[in-house]
Amino acid sequence: MLTELTDEQLLSQALDGDEDAFTVLYRRRQGPVYRFALHMSGSSHVAEEVTQDVFVFLIRRGRDFDSNRGALGAFLFGVARNYVRRSLERNYSDAMVNSSADDEAHALVIEDDPGDGIARRQTSTALWKAVLSLPEHYREVVVLCDLQELTYAQAAEALGCAIGTIRSRLHRAHDMLGKKLQHSAAVAPGRVSRVTARCAS
Amino acid sequence: MTCREFKHSAASLTLWELSHPGDEQLIHAEECPKCGSWLDRQQMLAASMQALQARTASRQAGPQVERALLRMFRQDPFEATQPVAAHRSAPIAFRLSRFFEVGAYVAVAAAIVVGLFLGVRLLEERSLRAPVQSQSSPAPAPQAPAVVNVAPKLEPPVLSAKRRVASRSAVQNRFVKASGATAGISESDDPEYVALMFCDPLSCSTDAQVVRMEVPATGATADHDTQTQLADVVVGYDGVVRAMRIVNPNLN
Repeated sequence: MLTELTDEQLLSQALDGDEDAFTVLYRRRQGPVYRFALHMSGSSHVAEEVTQDVFVFLIRRGRDFDSNRGALGAFLFGVARNYVRRSLERNYSDAMVNSSADDEAHALVIEDDPGDGIARRQTSTALWKAVLSLPEHYREVVVLCDLQELTYAQAAEALGCAIGTIRSRLHRAHDMLGKKLQHSAAVAPGRVSRVTARCAS
Repeated sequence: MTCREFKHSAASLTLWELSHPGDEQLIHAEECPKCGSWLDRQQMLAASMQALQARTASRQAGPQVERALLRMFRQDPFEATQPVAAHRSAPIAFRLSRFFEVGAYVAVAAAIVVGLFLGVRLLEERSLRAPVQSQSSPAPAPQAPAVVNVAPKLEPPVLSAKRRVASRSAVQNRFVKASGATAGISESDDPEYVALMFCDPLSCSTDAQVVRMEVPATGATADHDTQTQLADVVVGYDGVVRAMRIVNPNLN
Protein backbone atom coordinates (compact mmCIF):
# COMPACT_ATOMS: atom_id res chain seq x y z
CA MET A 1 0.00 0.00 0.00
CA LEU A 2 2.63 2.49 1.06
CA THR A 3 4.95 1.45 -1.74
CA GLU A 4 2.42 2.69 -4.26
CA LEU A 5 2.49 6.21 -2.89
CA THR A 6 4.62 8.91 -4.43
CA ASP A 7 7.59 10.36 -2.65
CA GLU A 8 5.68 13.49 -1.79
CA GLN A 9 2.79 11.51 -0.30
CA LEU A 10 5.18 9.41 1.73
CA LEU A 11 6.91 12.51 3.02
CA SER A 12 3.59 14.05 3.91
CA GLN A 13 2.64 10.98 5.94
CA ALA A 14 6.06 10.85 7.52
CA LEU A 15 5.67 14.48 8.51
CA ASP A 16 2.61 13.40 10.45
CA GLY A 17 4.75 10.90 12.34
CA ASP A 18 4.19 7.77 10.25
CA GLU A 19 7.36 5.75 10.72
CA ASP A 20 6.44 3.19 8.07
CA ALA A 21 6.07 5.92 5.48
CA PHE A 22 9.48 7.25 6.39
CA THR A 23 10.97 3.77 6.16
CA VAL A 24 9.50 3.22 2.70
CA LEU A 25 10.69 6.61 1.58
CA TYR A 26 14.16 5.94 2.93
CA ARG A 27 14.44 2.55 1.28
CA ARG A 28 13.28 3.98 -1.99
CA ARG A 29 15.63 6.94 -2.03
CA GLN A 30 18.69 5.94 -0.06
CA GLY A 31 20.26 3.95 -2.90
CA PRO A 32 20.46 6.80 -5.41
CA VAL A 33 21.61 9.21 -2.73
CA TYR A 34 24.26 6.77 -1.55
CA ARG A 35 25.51 6.09 -5.07
CA PHE A 36 25.57 9.76 -5.91
CA ALA A 37 27.76 10.43 -2.88
CA LEU A 38 29.87 7.38 -3.67
CA HIS A 39 30.51 8.45 -7.23
CA MET A 40 31.20 12.00 -6.18
CA SER A 41 33.58 11.20 -3.35
CA GLY A 42 34.96 7.79 -4.22
CA SER A 43 34.58 6.74 -0.62
CA SER A 44 31.95 4.41 0.81
CA HIS A 45 32.54 5.95 4.23
CA VAL A 46 31.68 9.42 2.96
CA ALA A 47 28.74 8.02 1.03
CA GLU A 48 27.21 6.44 4.14
CA GLU A 49 27.76 9.57 6.16
CA VAL A 50 26.21 11.76 3.49
CA THR A 51 23.24 9.42 3.16
CA GLN A 52 22.59 9.61 6.86
CA ASP A 53 23.01 13.37 6.89
CA VAL A 54 20.58 13.81 4.02
CA PHE A 55 17.83 11.89 5.78
CA VAL A 56 18.57 13.55 9.10
CA PHE A 57 18.08 16.80 7.24
CA LEU A 58 14.78 15.46 5.93
CA ILE A 59 13.68 14.52 9.44
CA ARG A 60 14.49 17.92 10.82
CA ARG A 61 13.65 20.16 7.86
CA GLY A 62 11.19 18.07 5.91
CA ARG A 63 8.56 20.78 6.09
CA ASP A 64 10.85 23.08 4.12
CA PHE A 65 10.34 20.94 1.03
CA ASP A 66 8.05 22.59 -1.51
CA SER A 67 6.69 20.19 -4.11
CA ASN A 68 5.89 23.12 -6.40
CA ARG A 69 9.58 23.78 -6.83
CA GLY A 70 10.52 20.28 -7.92
CA ALA A 71 10.48 16.59 -7.16
CA LEU A 72 11.62 15.18 -3.85
CA GLY A 73 14.30 13.12 -5.58
CA ALA A 74 15.92 16.21 -7.04
CA PHE A 75 15.60 17.92 -3.67
CA LEU A 76 17.45 15.05 -1.97
CA PHE A 77 20.19 15.13 -4.61
CA GLY A 78 20.57 18.85 -4.00
CA VAL A 79 20.92 18.28 -0.26
CA ALA A 80 23.33 15.40 -0.86
CA ARG A 81 25.39 17.56 -3.17
CA ASN A 82 25.81 20.16 -0.45
CA TYR A 83 26.81 17.56 2.12
CA VAL A 84 29.28 15.96 -0.28
CA ARG A 85 30.78 19.34 -1.00
CA ARG A 86 31.05 20.09 2.71
CA SER A 87 32.57 16.71 3.31
CA LEU A 88 35.14 17.22 0.58
CA GLU A 89 35.92 20.68 1.88
CA ARG A 90 36.67 19.25 5.28
CA ASN A 91 39.69 17.82 3.53
CA TYR A 92 39.80 14.56 5.32
CA SER A 93 37.96 12.93 2.51
CA ASP A 94 40.31 14.39 -0.06
CA ALA A 95 42.90 11.99 1.16
CA MET A 96 40.28 9.28 1.15
CA VAL A 97 39.43 9.96 -2.47
CA ASN A 98 42.94 9.09 -3.51
CA SER A 99 43.30 6.10 -1.28
CA SER A 100 39.81 4.73 -1.07
CA ALA A 101 39.05 5.13 -4.75
CA ASP A 102 41.54 2.38 -5.23
CA ASP A 103 39.87 0.47 -2.41
CA GLU A 104 36.48 0.90 -4.01
CA ALA A 105 37.84 -0.08 -7.37
CA HIS A 106 39.47 -3.10 -5.79
CA ALA A 107 36.15 -4.01 -4.20
CA LEU A 108 34.49 -3.80 -7.58
CA VAL A 109 37.00 -6.20 -9.03
CA ILE A 110 36.30 -8.65 -6.28
CA GLU A 111 32.56 -8.39 -6.81
CA ASP A 112 32.92 -8.92 -10.51
CA ASP A 113 31.68 -11.89 -12.34
CA PRO A 114 34.76 -14.02 -13.12
CA GLY A 115 33.58 -14.36 -16.66
CA ASP A 116 33.64 -10.67 -17.21
CA GLY A 117 36.53 -9.28 -19.19
CA ILE A 118 39.53 -7.73 -17.55
CA ALA A 119 39.36 -4.81 -19.92
CA ARG A 120 35.86 -4.01 -18.79
CA ARG A 121 36.95 -3.88 -15.19
CA GLN A 122 40.00 -1.86 -16.00
CA THR A 123 38.11 0.67 -18.06
CA SER A 124 35.45 1.12 -15.41
CA THR A 125 38.14 1.62 -12.80
CA ALA A 126 39.95 4.08 -15.05
CA LEU A 127 36.70 5.87 -15.74
CA TRP A 128 35.91 6.24 -12.07
CA LYS A 129 39.32 7.72 -11.43
CA ALA A 130 38.81 10.04 -14.37
CA VAL A 131 35.41 11.09 -13.03
CA LEU A 132 36.91 11.76 -9.60
CA SER A 133 39.61 13.91 -11.18
CA LEU A 134 37.06 16.15 -12.89
CA PRO A 135 36.28 19.57 -11.45
CA GLU A 136 33.33 19.38 -9.10
CA HIS A 137 30.75 21.11 -11.33
CA TYR A 138 31.59 18.76 -14.20
CA ARG A 139 31.70 15.72 -11.96
CA GLU A 140 28.23 16.29 -10.54
CA VAL A 141 26.56 16.54 -13.95
CA VAL A 142 28.30 13.37 -15.10
CA VAL A 143 27.23 11.54 -11.95
CA LEU A 144 23.66 12.78 -12.13
CA CYS A 145 23.03 12.47 -15.85
CA ASP A 146 25.23 9.54 -16.86
CA LEU A 147 25.43 7.39 -13.76
CA GLN A 148 22.14 8.26 -12.04
CA GLU A 149 20.36 8.68 -15.36
CA LEU A 150 18.52 11.81 -14.43
CA THR A 151 17.10 13.90 -17.22
CA TYR A 152 18.60 17.27 -17.90
CA ALA A 153 15.59 18.92 -16.29
CA GLN A 154 15.89 16.83 -13.13
CA ALA A 155 19.63 17.51 -12.94
CA ALA A 156 18.96 21.20 -13.39
CA GLU A 157 16.49 21.06 -10.49
CA ALA A 158 18.97 19.26 -8.27
CA LEU A 159 21.84 21.59 -9.07
CA GLY A 160 19.76 24.74 -9.27
CA CYS A 161 20.92 25.82 -12.69
CA ALA A 162 19.55 26.05 -16.23
CA ILE A 163 19.14 23.07 -18.51
CA GLY A 164 21.47 24.66 -21.02
CA THR A 165 24.14 24.83 -18.35
CA ILE A 166 23.72 21.14 -17.64
CA ARG A 167 23.95 20.33 -21.32
CA SER A 168 27.08 22.39 -21.93
CA ARG A 169 28.80 21.12 -18.80
CA LEU A 170 28.02 17.57 -19.71
CA HIS A 171 29.32 18.01 -23.23
CA ARG A 172 32.52 19.51 -21.90
CA ALA A 173 32.84 16.79 -19.26
CA HIS A 174 32.45 14.08 -21.87
CA ASP A 175 35.24 15.59 -23.91
CA MET A 176 37.48 15.72 -20.86
CA LEU A 177 36.64 12.17 -19.86
CA GLY A 178 37.20 10.90 -23.38
CA LYS A 179 40.64 12.44 -23.47
CA LYS A 180 41.50 11.11 -20.03
CA LEU A 181 40.41 7.64 -20.97
CA GLN A 182 42.29 7.80 -24.21
CA HIS A 183 45.37 8.92 -22.32
CA SER A 184 45.08 6.11 -19.81
CA ALA A 185 44.52 3.65 -22.65
CA ALA A 186 47.64 4.96 -24.37
CA VAL A 187 49.60 4.26 -21.20
CA ALA A 188 48.43 0.64 -21.32
CA PRO A 189 48.36 -0.28 -25.02
CA GLY A 190 47.15 -3.79 -24.41
CA ARG A 191 44.01 -2.39 -22.94
CA VAL A 192 43.33 -0.16 -25.93
CA SER A 193 42.89 -2.89 -28.42
CA ARG A 194 40.46 -4.77 -26.22
CA VAL A 195 38.38 -1.76 -25.39
CA THR A 196 38.31 -0.57 -28.97
CA ALA A 197 37.32 -3.98 -30.16
CA ARG A 198 34.58 -4.09 -27.57
CA CYS A 199 33.24 -0.70 -28.54
CA ALA A 200 33.34 -1.54 -32.18
CA SER A 201 31.42 -4.71 -31.56
CA MET B 1 26.58 15.91 -43.44
CA THR B 2 29.30 18.34 -42.54
CA CYS B 3 31.45 18.18 -39.45
CA ARG B 4 29.55 21.09 -37.99
CA GLU B 5 26.23 19.37 -38.51
CA PHE B 6 27.66 16.19 -37.06
CA LYS B 7 28.80 17.99 -33.91
CA HIS B 8 25.53 19.83 -33.64
CA SER B 9 23.48 16.67 -33.88
CA ALA B 10 25.79 14.81 -31.51
CA ALA B 11 25.55 17.57 -28.91
CA SER B 12 21.81 17.04 -28.64
CA LEU B 13 22.22 13.32 -27.94
CA THR B 14 22.90 11.74 -24.62
CA LEU B 15 25.86 9.51 -24.04
CA TRP B 16 23.64 6.44 -24.39
CA GLU B 17 22.13 7.67 -27.62
CA LEU B 18 25.62 8.18 -29.02
CA SER B 19 26.21 4.46 -28.57
CA HIS B 20 23.72 3.92 -31.34
CA PRO B 21 24.14 6.85 -33.71
CA GLY B 22 22.01 7.38 -36.76
CA ASP B 23 22.99 6.31 -40.26
CA GLU B 24 23.98 9.79 -41.37
CA GLN B 25 26.24 10.21 -38.40
CA LEU B 26 27.82 6.81 -38.96
CA ILE B 27 28.47 7.60 -42.59
CA HIS B 28 30.08 10.90 -41.71
CA ALA B 29 32.16 9.28 -38.95
CA GLU B 30 33.50 6.82 -41.46
CA GLU B 31 34.33 9.56 -43.93
CA CYS B 32 35.84 12.02 -41.45
CA PRO B 33 38.64 10.61 -39.29
CA LYS B 34 38.41 13.45 -36.79
CA CYS B 35 34.70 13.00 -36.17
CA GLY B 36 35.15 9.23 -36.27
CA SER B 37 37.78 9.45 -33.59
CA TRP B 38 35.54 11.65 -31.50
CA LEU B 39 32.64 9.23 -31.90
CA ASP B 40 34.88 6.33 -30.92
CA ARG B 41 35.90 8.14 -27.77
CA GLN B 42 32.30 8.85 -26.87
CA GLN B 43 31.31 5.26 -27.49
CA MET B 44 34.17 4.01 -25.38
CA LEU B 45 33.12 6.43 -22.68
CA ALA B 46 29.52 5.23 -22.88
CA ALA B 47 30.62 1.61 -22.60
CA SER B 48 32.82 2.40 -19.61
CA MET B 49 30.05 4.41 -18.02
CA GLN B 50 27.65 1.52 -18.41
CA ALA B 51 30.18 -0.81 -16.85
CA LEU B 52 30.71 1.48 -13.90
CA GLN B 53 27.00 2.00 -13.50
CA ALA B 54 26.34 -1.71 -13.56
CA ARG B 55 28.98 -2.38 -10.94
CA THR B 56 27.74 0.24 -8.53
CA ALA B 57 24.03 -0.33 -9.12
CA SER B 58 23.72 -2.59 -6.13
CA ARG B 59 25.65 -0.36 -3.73
CA GLN B 60 23.61 1.18 -0.95
CA ALA B 61 23.95 2.38 2.59
CA GLY B 62 24.37 -0.20 5.31
CA PRO B 63 21.54 -1.28 7.62
CA GLN B 64 23.11 0.59 10.52
CA VAL B 65 22.25 3.86 8.78
CA GLU B 66 18.59 2.91 8.59
CA ARG B 67 18.57 1.86 12.24
CA ALA B 68 20.17 5.11 13.32
CA LEU B 69 17.71 7.13 11.27
CA LEU B 70 14.69 5.29 12.62
CA ARG B 71 15.97 5.75 16.15
CA MET B 72 16.31 9.45 15.46
CA PHE B 73 12.89 9.56 13.84
CA ARG B 74 11.29 8.08 16.97
CA GLN B 75 13.06 10.55 19.19
CA ASP B 76 12.53 13.62 17.06
CA PRO B 77 9.77 13.16 14.51
CA PHE B 78 9.72 16.05 12.04
CA GLU B 79 9.80 19.02 14.32
CA ALA B 80 9.71 21.85 11.87
CA THR B 81 9.91 24.55 14.48
CA GLN B 82 12.82 22.99 16.27
CA PRO B 83 16.17 24.55 15.48
CA VAL B 84 18.53 22.34 13.59
CA ALA B 85 21.04 20.74 15.88
CA ALA B 86 24.55 20.17 14.68
CA HIS B 87 24.89 16.64 13.48
CA ARG B 88 27.74 14.35 14.25
CA SER B 89 29.63 15.11 11.06
CA ALA B 90 29.67 18.85 11.61
CA PRO B 91 33.03 20.35 12.45
CA ILE B 92 33.63 21.29 16.04
CA ALA B 93 33.85 24.99 15.21
CA PHE B 94 30.46 24.69 13.52
CA ARG B 95 28.99 23.14 16.63
CA LEU B 96 30.41 25.86 18.82
CA SER B 97 29.31 28.67 16.54
CA ARG B 98 26.32 29.46 18.72
CA PHE B 99 28.54 29.65 21.75
CA PHE B 100 30.94 31.96 19.94
CA GLU B 101 28.07 34.09 18.74
CA VAL B 102 26.76 34.59 22.28
CA GLY B 103 30.30 35.24 23.49
CA ALA B 104 30.77 37.88 20.82
CA TYR B 105 27.58 39.65 21.87
CA VAL B 106 28.66 39.61 25.51
CA ALA B 107 32.09 40.97 24.61
CA VAL B 108 30.61 43.82 22.60
CA ALA B 109 28.20 44.69 25.42
CA ALA B 110 31.03 44.66 27.96
CA ALA B 111 33.14 46.90 25.74
CA ILE B 112 30.28 49.39 25.47
CA VAL B 113 29.76 49.43 29.25
CA VAL B 114 33.47 49.92 29.93
CA GLY B 115 33.65 52.68 27.33
CA LEU B 116 30.70 54.51 28.89
CA PHE B 117 32.20 54.15 32.36
CA LEU B 118 35.56 55.52 31.27
CA GLY B 119 33.93 58.37 29.39
CA VAL B 120 31.89 59.41 32.40
CA ARG B 121 34.94 59.24 34.62
CA LEU B 122 36.95 61.36 32.22
CA LEU B 123 34.25 63.99 32.04
CA GLU B 124 33.96 64.08 35.82
CA GLU B 125 37.71 64.51 36.20
CA ARG B 126 37.78 67.35 33.72
CA SER B 127 34.92 69.12 35.36
CA LEU B 128 36.56 68.80 38.78
CA ARG B 129 40.07 69.76 37.75
CA ALA B 130 39.57 73.48 37.13
CA PRO B 131 37.87 74.33 40.47
CA VAL B 132 40.41 72.32 42.43
CA GLN B 133 43.31 74.10 40.77
CA SER B 134 41.80 77.48 41.31
CA GLN B 135 41.23 76.62 44.94
CA SER B 136 44.79 75.43 45.37
CA SER B 137 46.35 78.51 43.79
CA PRO B 138 47.62 81.04 46.31
CA ALA B 139 45.34 83.89 46.99
CA PRO B 140 46.65 87.31 46.27
CA ALA B 141 47.79 89.40 49.16
CA PRO B 142 46.12 92.72 48.59
CA GLN B 143 47.58 94.32 51.67
CA ALA B 144 51.16 93.37 50.87
CA PRO B 145 51.68 92.73 47.19
CA ALA B 146 54.49 90.37 46.41
CA VAL B 147 57.61 91.99 45.16
CA VAL B 148 59.94 89.83 43.21
CA ASN B 149 63.41 91.03 42.37
CA VAL B 150 64.11 88.73 39.51
CA ALA B 151 61.55 87.03 37.41
CA PRO B 152 63.55 84.96 34.93
CA LYS B 153 60.51 83.12 33.67
CA LEU B 154 58.92 86.27 32.57
CA GLU B 155 59.15 87.19 29.01
CA PRO B 156 59.96 90.84 28.40
CA PRO B 157 56.80 92.70 27.80
CA VAL B 158 55.93 92.81 24.19
CA LEU B 159 54.81 96.26 23.73
CA SER B 160 53.98 95.87 20.12
CA ALA B 161 51.73 92.93 20.66
CA LYS B 162 48.20 94.06 20.35
CA ARG B 163 46.54 90.86 21.21
CA ARG B 164 44.62 91.69 24.28
CA VAL B 165 43.45 89.49 26.99
CA ALA B 166 39.99 88.44 26.23
CA SER B 167 38.73 89.30 29.64
CA ARG B 168 40.73 92.38 30.07
CA SER B 169 38.00 94.40 31.67
CA ALA B 170 37.25 91.61 34.11
CA VAL B 171 40.90 91.32 35.01
CA GLN B 172 41.13 95.00 35.49
CA ASN B 173 38.17 94.94 37.76
CA ARG B 174 39.76 92.19 39.79
CA PHE B 175 42.98 94.11 39.85
CA VAL B 176 41.20 97.10 41.20
CA LYS B 177 39.60 94.94 43.84
CA ALA B 178 42.84 93.20 44.74
CA SER B 179 45.43 95.87 44.67
CA GLY B 180 43.82 99.06 43.57
CA ALA B 181 43.41 100.37 47.06
CA THR B 182 47.02 99.78 47.99
CA ALA B 183 48.50 100.95 44.80
CA GLY B 184 46.21 103.84 44.53
CA ILE B 185 45.59 103.30 40.91
CA SER B 186 42.28 104.11 39.47
CA GLU B 187 40.91 102.42 36.42
CA SER B 188 40.88 105.68 34.52
CA ASP B 189 44.62 106.24 34.59
CA ASP B 190 45.44 102.59 34.22
CA PRO B 191 47.54 101.84 31.15
CA GLU B 192 46.43 98.91 29.12
CA TYR B 193 47.52 95.38 29.77
CA VAL B 194 49.62 93.78 27.07
CA ALA B 195 49.11 90.14 26.35
CA LEU B 196 52.22 87.99 26.24
CA MET B 197 52.82 85.83 23.25
CA PHE B 198 53.08 82.09 23.20
CA CYS B 199 50.57 81.69 25.99
CA ASP B 200 47.08 80.40 25.88
CA PRO B 201 44.71 83.29 26.03
CA LEU B 202 42.60 83.52 29.13
CA SER B 203 38.97 83.00 28.78
CA CYS B 204 36.38 84.80 30.75
CA SER B 205 35.60 81.78 32.86
CA THR B 206 39.15 81.10 34.02
CA ASP B 207 40.51 82.49 37.23
CA ALA B 208 43.48 84.79 37.12
CA GLN B 209 45.38 86.74 39.69
CA VAL B 210 47.09 90.06 39.39
CA VAL B 211 50.40 90.45 41.16
CA ARG B 212 52.47 93.58 41.35
CA MET B 213 56.15 92.84 41.02
CA GLU B 214 59.43 94.20 39.77
CA VAL B 215 60.57 93.03 36.41
CA PRO B 216 63.84 93.72 34.57
CA ALA B 217 63.54 96.90 32.64
CA THR B 218 65.31 95.61 29.55
CA GLY B 219 63.20 96.06 26.54
CA ALA B 220 60.73 98.00 28.56
CA THR B 221 60.82 101.62 29.23
CA ALA B 222 63.97 101.97 31.32
CA ASP B 223 67.30 103.09 29.96
CA HIS B 224 69.67 100.83 31.91
CA ASP B 225 69.85 97.06 32.10
CA THR B 226 70.17 96.88 35.84
CA GLN B 227 67.08 98.84 36.50
CA THR B 228 63.82 97.23 37.33
CA GLN B 229 60.39 98.27 36.53
CA LEU B 230 57.28 97.87 38.59
CA ALA B 231 54.58 95.98 36.77
CA ASP B 232 51.27 94.30 37.33
CA VAL B 233 51.25 90.83 35.89
CA VAL B 234 48.24 88.67 35.27
CA VAL B 235 48.99 85.13 36.40
CA GLY B 236 46.78 82.40 35.13
CA TYR B 237 45.50 79.47 37.12
CA ASP B 238 48.43 77.45 35.84
CA GLY B 239 51.05 79.92 37.11
CA VAL B 240 51.92 81.26 33.70
CA VAL B 241 51.94 84.99 33.20
CA ARG B 242 49.49 85.94 30.54
CA ALA B 243 49.62 89.71 30.48
CA MET B 244 51.30 92.56 32.15
CA ARG B 245 51.29 96.29 32.34
CA ILE B 246 53.92 98.73 33.38
CA VAL B 247 52.95 100.69 36.43
CA ASN B 248 53.44 104.34 36.12
CA PRO B 249 56.37 105.18 38.45
CA ASN B 250 54.99 108.56 39.14
CA LEU B 251 51.94 107.07 40.70
CA ASN B 252 53.91 104.49 42.65
